[in-house]
Amino acid sequence: MPEPCSIVIFGATGDLTHRKLVPALYNLAANGSLPASVSVVGFARRDKTDEIFRRELEEAAQKFSRQKLNPELWEHFASSIFYHRSEFDKAEGYDALAKRLDELDAQRGTRGNRLFYLSVAPDQFPIILEHLRKSGLNQARKGSWTRVIVEKPFGIDLPTAVELNSLVDEAFRESDTYRIDHYLGKETAQNIMVLRFANSLFETMWNAKHIDHVQITASEPLGVEGRAGYYDKSGAIRDMVQNHLLQLLCLTAMEPPSDLSADAIRDEKVKVLKSLRPIEGADVRKYVVRAQYSAGAVNGKRVPAYRDEQNVPPESATETYVALQVNIDNWRWAGVPFFVRVGKRLPKAATEIAIHFKSVPPVLFRNSGDVLDDNVLVIRIQPDEGISLRMCAKKPGSSLRIEPVKMDFHYGTSFGKATPEAYERLLLDAMSGDATLFARRDEVEEAWKFIDAIRADWDKGDEGLAFYSAGSWGPTEADDLIQRHGATWRRL
Amino acid sequence: MNAATVEFGLPVEIGRIDKELGRLWEESGDTKTRASLINLAIYTESAESMAANTELIASIAGEHACRALLILANPAAAQDSAKAWINAHCFPAGKGDRQICSEQITFQLDGEAAMALPNLVFSHLDSDLPLCVWWQAEFRKLADERLWQWVDRLIYDSREWTDPSEQFERVREIAACDAGRRITLCDLNWARLLSTRFAMAQFFDNATAICLLEKIHKVRLEYGPGFRTSALLLLGWFASRLGWKFQPMLGNAFFVSRKGVQVQVELAETEGGCVSLCRFDHDSATIEFRREKGSEYFHASLRGEGLPEISQLLPGGREKITDTLLSELSRGGRHPQYVEAFEVVRPLFQSSDR
Repeated sequence: MPEPCSIVIFGATGDLTHRKLVPALYNLAANGSLPASVSVVGFARRDKTDEIFRRELEEAAQKFSRQKLNPELWEHFASSIFYHRSEFDKAEGYDALAKRLDELDAQRGTRGNRLFYLSVAPDQFPIILEHLRKSGLNQARKGSWTRVIVEKPFGIDLPTAVELNSLVDEAFRESDTYRIDHYLGKETAQNIMVLRFANSLFETMWNAKHIDHVQITASEPLGVEGRAGYYDKSGAIRDMVQNHLLQLLCLTAMEPPSDLSADAIRDEKVKVLKSLRPIEGADVRKYVVRAQYSAGAVNGKRVPAYRDEQNVPPESATETYVALQVNIDNWRWAGVPFFVRVGKRLPKAATEIAIHFKSVPPVLFRNSGDVLDDNVLVIRIQPDEGISLRMCAKKPGSSLRIEPVKMDFHYGTSFGKATPEAYERLLLDAMSGDATLFARRDEVEEAWKFIDAIRADWDKGDEGLAFYSAGSWGPTEADDLIQRHGATWRRL
Repeated sequence: MNAATVEFGLPVEIGRIDKELGRLWEESGDTKTRASLINLAIYTESAESMAANTELIASIAGEHACRALLILANPAAAQDSAKAWINAHCFPAGKGDRQICSEQITFQLDGEAAMALPNLVFSHLDSDLPLCVWWQAEFRKLADERLWQWVDRLIYDSREWTDPSEQFERVREIAACDAGRRITLCDLNWARLLSTRFAMAQFFDNATAICLLEKIHKVRLEYGPGFRTSALLLLGWFASRLGWKFQPMLGNAFFVSRKGVQVQVELAETEGGCVSLCRFDHDSATIEFRREKGSEYFHASLRGEGLPEISQLLPGGREKITDTLLSELSRGGRHPQYVEAFEVVRPLFQSSDR
């Protein structure tokens, strides 16, 4: 159980607070994982009272909480929620916040512990961080702690990430900085290490000798959904690959850490990022496919082209789909491509890591006439979190016929309870001071270094931007990319 | 089409199929276990066949736990529309209350939606398991040629084709496309002859019978109404195995054997099932496979001057389509002789053949 603390959410009237943060805190309370005296202070510009704020959050929690709201518990939980109105750039707002937090410490016993959550647009980060520093809110008192959670994006390229990290660094120590990547909070992402390192079966085969290639996919049927302003500047590679997918790649590819401490694990992830073969110049066209969706139909409903979405410039060359072949130049992975694809307006929502093992020598079965399917180990990150293993089996009967079969493990059914939301785990870890599931400064910067090389080529012009119909599985160029390795994208 | 008259199950939004299926299982308690070994998709453009197809899926699921996708398509519809339903077929698993269940997702796709199978339908596969598609319509040039890259086993029934020669060409194109290296062609018309072919092969293993093969000069095949193409495929199999070449000459079709013997062919429609008679005439002997209507066996015989008479009762297999499909799914594997057999008799197919 973490120590009591005050959680201050900057951007408290935003979507994230309503959809994720407050429902997550409520679920922690419902499970008895949240210290009873925790205070939640919403910091935002709009004028409203504690009561109105609580009512709005109750409506949101009813809609988005994974557990049904218990009126008695909600009433108690809501009494710990407060609203603090202020502009982000007004020093007096922070002074008033400091005073209010002191009062809450006294009233609720939160011991001066503070967790600041920056759930705001990135351009607000510097202002808020500066004011936290100037008001002294960043300083922990003796025996207390002060931490900050920063939501992505951590910059838009390496220089901005370095700048942002320096700003954070001026206000908070690295050990008190929690860069959130909600993919890391998902049970299956956390389970990657357990699967690999707690089972002798897999880790001994987790290398170039046995693995043919790896596919990491994040597909979603949604479009930009009112985020066009942000998304058009970001694109799929910055929005998804730089953070979530490279994090999944690191967990899949890293060496065993010496222990389970945050830094030991993050050291190994950084080594993977440093081993990525840079994709630059002419290699960008060879190893990366970028595409944008045109008009089509998703799940039977017609949707407009990306360029026809509200607030998207009609000439936009922003990619809504990326497929890339990532090569890791180290002893474990030499010659094993990691195929990564991410896209919007694809037919279904699915994020998974698929380990494709090498084919068996055909000597025994070449006469059966069957094409032997390779073993595939799939780690489903979302939805329906779980792990499956495809293997070949003989069909019953007198002749030798071979068919693939699948062993499937579903978190939901196997453990008999709903898996916690990623934000529940991440908030709890931040309160507990465990940074394992958060990105460290050097991880973020190394990831940007890899992405910036690709972007540098793209920034030269729109050539090479492919198109795919909304609702399809992406452009044919992506199929060609993986077919060069003799593989095909998985059917999800 | 009026699909609403058929019981498809619980209507669901297409984007929520997986969630709703998940809920279905959560609500069904501990006694029901979802299982799947294959994805079985049935594509039809006939609303009238939907009830029969659902029944067929229920029969199949009892032996082959599967994720079934039943697709009722109307590509010619003026309005685009896509609807879906879910249900499950459950069967007792041994003693006790436990049941093994297969999921069925039914789609009704109109207009352009009917052209988007990989996007709309195949995004609901049980991944990593083979996809068997039974295509119950004519093969057309498709808007999305990548459709076939999804398919592991393409099932069709050439008996239903209105123009077998043209349709066979389409099938060959599908098999030849890039991803076709893994697609297995499965003609139910060929599969329904499996037992017949086994019976014949077994009979000709006899030392006396096998000696007569090279000097057969006449083949007579009798088939039931609608089974001419089945009889032709059987002839094609026999001809291709023995290396006979088709020779059209002056409107009189015959084969020439490897040794230059002319082989006359007689095809006749009679009452009865698929292939009711197959007779091979030799200068001094006759080999006959006869199957009475409704029987599951062939009476095979060899009679000839100076030869010992041989009479055998050989399994001929069941003729119901469910049995053929079940047998095909159980057997698995490829059909290496099928294309060759079809090619040999292809000139004998006419557009009116059924």
